[in-house]
Order: sequence, then C-alpha cells, then structure tokens
Amino acid sequence: MGIVIAVISGKGGVGKTTATANLGLGIAINEKKCVVVDFDIGQRNLDMILGLENRVVYDMVQVMEGEASLKQALIKSKVNENLHFLAASQTRDKSVLDSDKVQKLVAELKEEFDFVILDAPAGIESGYEHTIEFADAAIVVVNPEVSSIRDADRAIGILDSKSFKVKNGEEVAKYLIINRIVADMVESGEMLRSEDILEILNIKLLGKVPEDKGVIDASNQGKPVVLDKKSIAGQAYMRIAGRLCGKKVDMKNIEVSDDGLFKKLAGIFK
Amino acid sequence: MLLINNNNGAFLQSNQYSVKVFETTVVDEVKFKEFFDTNYLLFKDHLIVIQGKLSSSIKDYLEKKKLHYLHDVSLPKGRSRKALEEELKVLHTESKVNEQIAQAEVEKLSSRLQNNLTVLDEMIRSGRELNINGDLLLLSRVNSGATIKTTGNLIITQVVEGSIRCYGNFMMLTASPKANIVFHDVEVDNGLLADRLNRVELKNNEIIITPVLKKEINWA
Repeated sequence: MGIVIAVISGKGGVGKTTATANLGLGIAINEKKCVVVDFDIGQRNLDMILGLENRVVYDMVQVMEGEASLKQALIKSKVNENLHFLAASQTRDKSVLDSDKVQKLVAELKEEFDFVILDAPAGIESGYEHTIEFADAAIVVVNPEVSSIRDADRAIGILDSKSFKVKNGEEVAKYLIINRIVADMVESGEMLRSEDILEILNIKLLGKVPEDKGVIDASNQGKPVVLDKKSIAGQAYMRIAGRLCGKKVDMKNIEVSDDGLFKKLAGIFK
Repeated sequence: MLLINNNNGAFLQSNQYSVKVFETTVVDEVKFKEFFDTNYLLFKDHLIVIQGKLSSSIKDYLEKKKLHYLHDVSLPKGRSRKALEEELKVLHTESKVNEQIAQAEVEKLSSRLQNNLTVLDEMIRSGRELNINGDLLLLSRVNSGATIKTTGNLIITQVVEGSIRCYGNFMMLTASPKANIVFHDVEVDNGLLADRLNRVELKNNEIIITPVLKKEINWA
C-alpha cells in the first residue's frame, strides 16, 4: 500500500511539474516503485519533461471512463524501470473529473506503487480540488516571492478544508519545497528568506532548490535534471527524494553564495 | 452598676435603668401646658419625649417645671406580627430589586467587555473570511489575503498581514505593517502600532492607540 502525494503550488510557473518529474525519478533511483500522474487535464506538460511525449497512447481520462485499462495507459520510463507515468488528456477539460472516479483510480494506483505523485494544475479550481481530495500528503512548491507565497497559502487553506482525510478528522501532512533560490538575492534582502516563508506558511520544510539554468534545457530535452550529477538543482532534488524515501539527509544551506566564501578566502590571502 | 473590663482593668462605668416614657406631640401649646399642670404628679417621674415641633416657650415651661424631656428620639416600639411580616416582605422585594439592578449593571458591563468570546488558535490563511459575532481572541497569525470581521472586541497576539474589520469597543494588536486595519469604518494607520501589544479604542469619535506593555512579550 503506497502513499499518495499531491504536488501543489497555487500559482503557476513556480516549478510544480519540474519538481514532480524530478522527485518521481529521484524516488525511482532510490529503488522505490513510483508513478507520476499528470492531473492538469487539458494542459499536459509532464510527458514532455519526462521525455515520454511520443509514447502516450491512452490517458487518465480514458482509464477513468473505462475505455482503456490502467495497465494499457501506464507508461514505463526507459531511464529507470521503477518510474511509471500516467498522462493527462490533452483534448478534454477539467469538468470530466468526478470524486468517485478519482477515488477509484487513486486506490488502484496505491495498490501497485510505493509512491503515487499527483501533479496538480495551477489555480484552485475543481481540477485542483480533485487532485488533493484523496491525497495522503501534499508537497507545496513555492518561489521566494510574495505572490507565490500568498497563492500557496490559499491552496493550503483549501487543502485543509476540502481534503477527504481532513473531512474524516485526520490530518494531511504538508511539506514545503522552496524552489529557485538565488543565494545572492537572499543575502542582499531582495528575495524572501526561507525562515520568513516558513513562518508565514507554517508547514514542514522538505527542501530548498537553488536556481539553476540547466533546468530549462533539461526540460526541453525531456531529461529531468536529477540525471545530471553536476547540476545543483538536480542534487537538491536528489536530497529531497532521499528524504521522502526515509533517508536521513541533512538540510544544505543554499542561501549562502559560494563565491561569497571565495571572496572571503581571497580577502584572507591578500 | 456595671463595670466593663478589658485586660487593663476597668475603663467604663455604667448604670442601667428602666424608666417610664411618655411620648407626645405638641398640637396646642395652651392645652399642652394645661394638661401637664393637671397631671403634674403623674408625669414628674416620667421621661417625656416630644416628637415633632418643640417651641422655646414649651422648653421653658418644661424646664421650669423640672420635667425631664427629650426631643425627637426614635424609640423601639412593639409591633404586631402582621406589621413585622409586611416589613420583611418589603425588605425582601427591595433586596430582590437591588439584586436585579446589580445584575443588569454587570450584564451591561460584560456586554462591553465580552460577548460570545471565541478563542481560536489556528492560522488564518489567505482567502479565508472569518465573520465573528461577538469577541475574538486569536492566538495565531493572519496571513495576507485573509479577512476577519468582528462585531465585538478583537485581540490578536501575532502579526496580521490580512485585513481586519472591528466594530467592538477595542482592539489589541501587535505591530503589523502589512495589515489593512479598519476600526468602526475608519482606516487605522498601522504605522502607529508600536512593536508590542497595542490597544486601539474609540474615544469621543477619535481613535486612540496606546501601547500596552513596556516590554516585548513572548507568548510561547
């Protein structure tokens, strides 16, 4: 019996889909069976980031409506055999989702996989509500800027009131990933510090991911950045995946810039 | 004779007497004098108590006759049981009325201080709108994009970044530079809130902000 994790953000463009792809692959590298599900019906992206766009035959909506079996629709990644993918429909829209169908699909996936990761659509509309409805935990992705924080706060508020678990008196675990941190800007005070973000959102910190130019290229090529051992964002996602798989990985302070240290050392030798 | 002692010996000497008292009022001075002239022997050992008016001529007359008298003193009187019960009943209703008045006063006071106090210890996240009928004590922060409205008093012990509308007698807030604060439909300048708990109240149509505690307090 696996765990269902929804990746949410409220605001669009903060790196939800990138985080989903990288965490999915990271978990698979940690030898756990993992499936990533694109819940952004009508605007699917996850297939491209995972490099699986030419292999999509059946999508999630067809499975829910009984036009295809789950086995037919699940796509196994060539990069790592532990990673599976279930695509969103590109032709339909969010209105096709309903609670009973989502519950059935999630329950089936939970039987087969250790981790079921749901990539939520941006916004707080019905598509978002269906994504979080049957999740056991949520990973909130934010950028260190006020609009992202406020939207995430709103998304958490909806999670706390509409989730199936909460309605049954249980609690949904919530974890925070702060994405696209630029150390220089945090040091100069232009970017919000993670302590401030944690104070506002009041949820557990799962990890911090630094800004990395390699992420865009990796997405375009369909090779998630965790595959690049030199990438700082990839390393950060690997640490987070390790934490999710129960490993004890210390939190790395990426809010101090490396060249700052260099300058300090250079100062000593002058 | 009676000697009343404390530890240091006698300090008070007293005697007790039983005397006959004749209580009267003066209606007609001439007839009054005539009455005492004829009955002098009967009253010369009585204590005479005059209730009401006492003119100087009557005073002179009584002193000349060496009659002992007192003016306007209330004497314990025998009463019928019925009268006693009547009086107790009046006293009882009086105390009941007093009790009710006191209770009404307390209610009036408490309606100013506290009506339907709600105590909340949860974060008010963005998009949440709290409408509180009565007072609210909030022990957590109010995030940007959240709204709180109270008909009564409002106390928030942590930072407010959302907007608050209060129609009570007072508000207690900490420094909240990002908050939108409206008190009785008047926007409060949050630059006036000091970095500690502040009391915001309406006095003579003016909003008064008073920092409450000298030191910063730790609520944890």
